[in-house]
Amino acid sequence: MPAIVITNTIRRLRFDNGEITQQDLAKKTDVTRQTIVAIENGKYSPSLELAFRIAHAFGKPLEEVFKYEMTEENSDSARKT
Amino acid sequence: MYYQEKKTIALLFSGTLVCAAYCIYAYQQLQTGAPNLGNDLRFWASAMLICIGAGIVTTIIIQILFHIINAMMNHVTACEEEDPTIEDERDKLINLKSMRNSYVVVGVGFVIALITLVMQLPPAVMLNIAFLSFMTGSLFEGISQLYFYRRGV
Repeated sequence: MPAIVITNTIRRLRFDNGEITQQDLAKKTDVTRQTIVAIENGKYSPSLELAFRIAHAFGKPLEEVFKYEMTEENSDSARKT
Repeated sequence: MYYQEKKTIALLFSGTLVCAAYCIYAYQQLQTGAPNLGNDLRFWASAMLICIGAGIVTTIIIQILFHIINAMMNHVTACEEEDPTIEDERDKLINLKSMRNSYVVVGVGFVIALITLVMQLPPAVMLNIAFLSFMTGSLFEGISQLYFYRRGV
C-alpha cells in the first residue's frame, strides 16, 4: 500500500495573513486551538469540511493550503500503468 | 499539557482509585475466609453496586477539584483558550476510537469470565472478572484517549 503524505501551509499562511494566532483561526473554523496545533504538526488530518473551512478562512483555494504528496513507491507504480 | 489531557488524567485517577478500593475490599473479604463466599452472589452484587455509587460520587468530586485547581493554575483571562467548551471533530474521533478500544477489553474480559464458568469455578469469580473487565475497559479508554491526544490520530 503506497504511503500518502498530506502536508499543509497553515503556519505560513497564518503569518502571511496578519500573523493571526492559532486561537483566532480556531474560532473562525469552529474548532479548538489544540486541533489547529495538531493539524499544523501533521498529527491530525482534518475532514474535508474542516479543510474547506480553513482554506476559506485564509481566502485561498484548498490546493494552496493542503498538499497531497505521493511517495516514490506510489509514483513508480503510477509510471508503470 | 492541554486541557483535554489534564481532564483525562483526572478521570483516570478517579477510576484507578475506585478500582483499587474495590480490589482491596474484595481481597479483605477473601482473607476473612467467610464460608460460601464464592456462591454468595447477593453479597458481591451489593458490593459492586456500592462501588458504582461510590465511583460516581468520587468522579464528581475529583472533577470539581480538577476544575478549581485548573482555574487557579492557569490564571488565564481568556479562559476559552485553555478550557475549550466545544467538542470538535478531533475530540469526537478520539472518543470513538478510545471507546472502541475499551469495548475490546470488556469483550475479552467477558470471554474470560465465561471460561471460568466452563472451568466450574465459583460463580462469584465470573461476576468479579466481568465487573473488573468493565473497570479495566474504562481505564483503558482513558489511556487510549491520552495516547491519541499526545501522539495524534
